[in-house]
Amino acid sequence: MEGAAPVDDFIPAGLASLGIKADEIDLAVMNAVHQLLWPPILELLALDTEGVEPERCPDLSRAPE
Amino acid sequence: MSAALDLGLRAQAAAVAAGDVEAAELLDGALARIEERNPALNAVIETFPERSREMLAAAPAGPLHGVPIVIKDEWPLPWRAQRFGAAELMAPTAPGESAPYRALRDAGAVVVGVGNMHELGAGSTGNTSFYGPARNPWDTERCPGGSSSGPAASVAGGLVAGAVGADGLGSVRFPAAYCGLTGLKPTFGRSAMEGHHMAAVTTLIVSGPLCADAADCRLLGSVLFGEELAAGDAAGLRIGIVRDTVAEDVTPEVREACEKAIEALRKETDGEVREIALPDLDAATLAAILIINSESMGGVTPERLNHLHPELSPIARGTLKYRMLLPAAATVQSTRVRTMMRRRLVELFEEVDVIAWPTIPAPAPLLEAPLVELPSGTHTADQANVRGAALANLTGIPSISMPVGLSGERLPIALQLQAAWGRDELLLDAAEALERANERRWVESRPPLAEAETTEV
Repeated sequence: MEGAAPVDDFIPAGLASLGIKADEIDLAVMNAVHQLLWPPILELLALDTEGVEPERCPDLSRAPE
Repeated sequence: MSAALDLGLRAQAAAVAAGDVEAAELLDGALARIEERNPALNAVIETFPERSREMLAAAPAGPLHGVPIVIKDEWPLPWRAQRFGAAELMAPTAPGESAPYRALRDAGAVVVGVGNMHELGAGSTGNTSFYGPARNPWDTERCPGGSSSGPAASVAGGLVAGAVGADGLGSVRFPAAYCGLTGLKPTFGRSAMEGHHMAAVTTLIVSGPLCADAADCRLLGSVLFGEELAAGDAAGLRIGIVRDTVAEDVTPEVREACEKAIEALRKETDGEVREIALPDLDAATLAAILIINSESMGGVTPERLNHLHPELSPIARGTLKYRMLLPAAATVQSTRVRTMMRRRLVELFEEVDVIAWPTIPAPAPLLEAPLVELPSGTHTADQANVRGAALANLTGIPSISMPVGLSGERLPIALQLQAAWGRDELLLDAAEALERANERRWVESRPPLAEAETTEV
């Protein structure tokens, strides 16, 4: 069965689930942003941060404890 | 009066304090200069001569007494709400006394105009704004940098000697770099922010000065910090460099100028250059983008997105809608990356005092097509620029951009230094050392537009 790859469904499905309307121009911009951001987002999610102890209420004005 | 307008910030302040220049004449001169040059630059989107004159009449004796300043369209003034360069903001705004305004007023400065900016602060080029793009005084067909496009073009174009910008992902440093200025991104939380519509939620955005050189940034920075940024000594400076995309995927001219500047800085400070490793910079960049995106979406609902202002740009409309689809897990992972990078920097700043790399990988691109040609290929300027800037915002450390050369097309090239939390003063010291090393050649270079004959006021 032919069909759009899941990534091609991501934007229309996401917009539909939230009830957000988008015209052709919106969709073109969103697709361009998606092409740029999504691969690094997947890489980010795959990054091993298991050993990173979270900072509690980090104070960005100072070095971490 | 033209001569006084062409002085740097501290020289203008000193001339007024000494009685060599009348503050009222300086203000009138700045307003006339804006009228004369702004049509070519679109750097200033609004002036309010009566308000400015009232401010001057009530100005206390302070370090900036009688000195005209431009403030970015990112903070309210008592008589004007910020527009954030956009037809519509995602947060409510109203006129008011923002902290940068109060700091300027209490220092005796005069707000002479509001600086243009990239729409919603969401770009490094300044090519998109509700008011039309600001233009680079070095070449008005080129991007002035963003998002503090107007403040930078105002100073580089000689409209004023100092301007207040804001930096969430490089928005002081990019325009400083494109326009040949010095721009300081302070340590998070050190500079005045109250009144910004995201002040309560942001963990990345800071106010910062844009001026011709580091000493002027020290003066305006001291006002914004509410404390004196004392001059010190950068002797024995340990300069860290990385062998990474951020330093190497840049144009040959940028690479050569920055390497030369780093060596000049080492020599001037009798310091040393050490190669350091800073892995996961790409992840840090994305983490900063995702965090600022999520912080900017407070109160935004699908219903709101279905009724966006028709004059919001197509890019802003599409990007805002896309942000609603970003996975929460990626933002949570971003906070882990932030912690990871902050801890790495603690260790790195045991080894080195500053980390140096180019502020921008290529000089200012054309407004019509903000693309840059790098060794790795063609990129949007936004995509390429952000990778050198986001680390400082993500982790909270201070960073400074300073001019270190001109390209073959006579466009500014800039070096960025980053230091540990609270060491803003060291960055200013180092920038001044580099100015000495190159005999102030680059901080005293002026764009053609600022050298044009002007009407005497």
